[in-house]
Amino acid sequence: MLHIRSILSIFGKYREKSKKLIDSVEHRLITWAVRLDNSQRYKELRKRVDDILNNPSNPKKRYLDIFIIFLIISSVFIMIYEVKHPLPLWMDIYDIYFVSFIFLIEYILRLWISSDMTNEFVQEYNKATFLGREFRVLPALAKGLKKKLKFMITPAAIIDLLAILPAYRPLRVLRIFVLFRFLKLLRYTRSINQFVEVLSNKRFELLTLLLLLLFVMMTGAIAIYVLEDMRNPGINSMFDAIYWSLVTISTVGYGDISPVSDMGRVIAMIIILFGIAMISFATSVIVSAFSEKLHTLKEERIVDEINKSEEFLIICGYGQMTKMFFRQFNEIDFKYIILDKSPERVKEALHDGYDAIVDDASRHETLARFDTNNSRVTVMCMTHDDVENIYITLNAKNISPKIKVIARAGSENIVNKYRRAGADHILLPNETASTMMAVAIMRPTMYKAIDAIFSGKNVAMLDEVIVHSHGHLLGKKIKDIDFKHFKLIPIGVQKQNENRFIFNPDPETLLEHRDVLLIIGDKRSISYFKEISCKDRC
Amino acid sequence: MIDGKHGGVILFGYGKFGRNVAQTLKREGIESILLIESDRENYSKALQDGFSNAKLMDITDDANLEKIAVAEDDQLVCLMDDDHLNVFLVLSLKALYPHNNVLALSDSIHATSKLKMAGANKVIDLYSVSANRIYNILRKPITTHFLDGFTNSNHEYSFREIHIPENSFLHEKRLEDIDFRRYGIIFIGMIDVELGNSFIFVTTGLEHKLDAGDVIVCIGHSEDLDRFEEIIKEPEEECRI
Repeated sequence: MLHIRSILSIFGKYREKSKKLIDSVEHRLITWAVRLDNSQRYKELRKRVDDILNNPSNPKKRYLDIFIIFLIISSVFIMIYEVKHPLPLWMDIYDIYFVSFIFLIEYILRLWISSDMTNEFVQEYNKATFLGREFRVLPALAKGLKKKLKFMITPAAIIDLLAILPAYRPLRVLRIFVLFRFLKLLRYTRSINQFVEVLSNKRFELLTLLLLLLFVMMTGAIAIYVLEDMRNPGINSMFDAIYWSLVTISTVGYGDISPVSDMGRVIAMIIILFGIAMISFATSVIVSAFSEKLHTLKEERIVDEINKSEEFLIICGYGQMTKMFFRQFNEIDFKYIILDKSPERVKEALHDGYDAIVDDASRHETLARFDTNNSRVTVMCMTHDDVENIYITLNAKNISPKIKVIARAGSENIVNKYRRAGADHILLPNETASTMMAVAIMRPTMYKAIDAIFSGKNVAMLDEVIVHSHGHLLGKKIKDIDFKHFKLIPIGVQKQNENRFIFNPDPETLLEHRDVLLIIGDKRSISYFKEISCKDRC
Repeated sequence: MIDGKHGGVILFGYGKFGRNVAQTLKREGIESILLIESDRENYSKALQDGFSNAKLMDITDDANLEKIAVAEDDQLVCLMDDDHLNVFLVLSLKALYPHNNVLALSDSIHATSKLKMAGANKVIDLYSVSANRIYNILRKPITTHFLDGFTNSNHEYSFREIHIPENSFLHEKRLEDIDFRRYGIIFIGMIDVELGNSFIFVTTGLEHKLDAGDVIVCIGHSEDLDRFEEIIKEPEEECRI
């Protein structure tokens, strides 16, 4: 701050006295801008407002959306109601002041966050001082304002502004601007947004069609005006002719104006044919636009849906491993998405009843679509290709180190590479299966035990029982629990406060809150034990 | 290391799995391995890796398979890379040698059921263990940690088959009277010789009186298991350790 002031004071010396007043205003403006730009709280506030207005993954935005949609619908409803009924005072006040006021605030906030004017201003100033140039406030301000203006003339901003207008009562005509509130819905409902987006992709085709339509319509209008102006009582002006032409070309044909001469009828027939052709053309353009986009729209929906959950899995590759993984679950009670490069495998996954999209998980954009800030994301690299798996691992860790990565490695030699890439867990299905095979050959009887425990068979399942604060297990010692009765064996206890795993715990081991008991037994015994042990709580 | 009476091992296929299995067996000290390959490249790889007892033949031809000297207690292991070939092989082997133990590796759920239908005595699914591990990683962190203790490099825990020797104090003792915990190990089941060498989990409610020659399966730290094996040789139980 001192630095700026000293520079300013140097500037001041060179200025004439008459400019002193302007100087002091400018001086204040700059100091104020710099202070604002440096303020952490201001930045924080800006960011939060921006987030709630524009970030679709912000959970709070949902509530804001619902609130605004409610305001819009109630306002439109009041307008319709007003046609036939006198309005009660509270409704009037609500409509004029409350709704408009909220919309005004919204508009101002949007304008505020549309561009960072203070920051640009300060940067301009810094640049000038750095280069030793004289800093002129007005051009810098104009530059910032220009950006704001640019925002103000975007269609969405114009609609927002017009939606505030109906509050001005003396002009009743402005009431019709309530309809602009309806247009505001565009911003707040995604499906309409997507509709517009899809159509705007076909902008060129639709525009060409519209121009053609205008051309044919105008030709028809001029022809009918010239031919029938005197003879037809319905056509008194060019406006009548255009109206007739449009009604005819659109195949609506009210019949309030109809050609009376033969020439007029010929023209009508020609433009009707044109009309049919053009309507079918327009329909096909729109339909094809949608069928092209439907796929991506659907995928976007799936991704959005999954981003809302607190925790989800991104499974890369739909192969045998993934299929086997799904078979571990009786019912799928977690959120997941399967990504696979190959459309055939995605088709297979969809056919098997799983959510899958065609996408390359090794691309940055693919994984960046997922909300890694608000959800706990686990990426499973299950493709057959080590190079690809490592790439996906790196990609995920690059996007956010918080992403947990479980990777499948092709062989023991490559495990180190996965470690270096940052994979949290590494699976070696080939090696594991070979070891199991060796066990089956060498120790066929014990194989059953090992297989049952490692592949989670129902006969000998390992499971964890958490000691709840209100459960039966709390405060008990291992010897107090009759494991034999439940046909279970305690394998170990994870002491949560010491973060230590005790294998084969001593009978005197005390179970405390949040400790985890590791037991082995038949699936039925385990579920029975779990049921009993947390009876008070669950 | 092989328990009981065992013959040799005949491995069919030295592809991506065959190689791993053969090397694991070799590491474990099993010498009597016969490798059979139908692919020339894999065959020469097997010879390079030091498996001199290898044969190259067309395994789809029964006449060739008949020529293999299969002893009565040999184990036949089908590890062909191609699923279809594997199923075909199991089918041929079972027809030629119905009394031999046929093991097969499968890399998909469909192949598993087909191999079983073809008559394989044991089918190992390539992914079942790994898939369960993912499940554990996601749902059961403690279990994951514990199971990793078996497979990681320092082998924190291990499985052990323990034969009850003659004159052991465990002789004639009922299982529920034995306190395995004081030896630092966990008893998880035993092999029932009477029921054709099948394994019975303790969790199924096992009631048994131990005899010399019985085989029990325990898990624990290797040192504890070693110590236990020494202790049970004594005719009298020591008081306290």
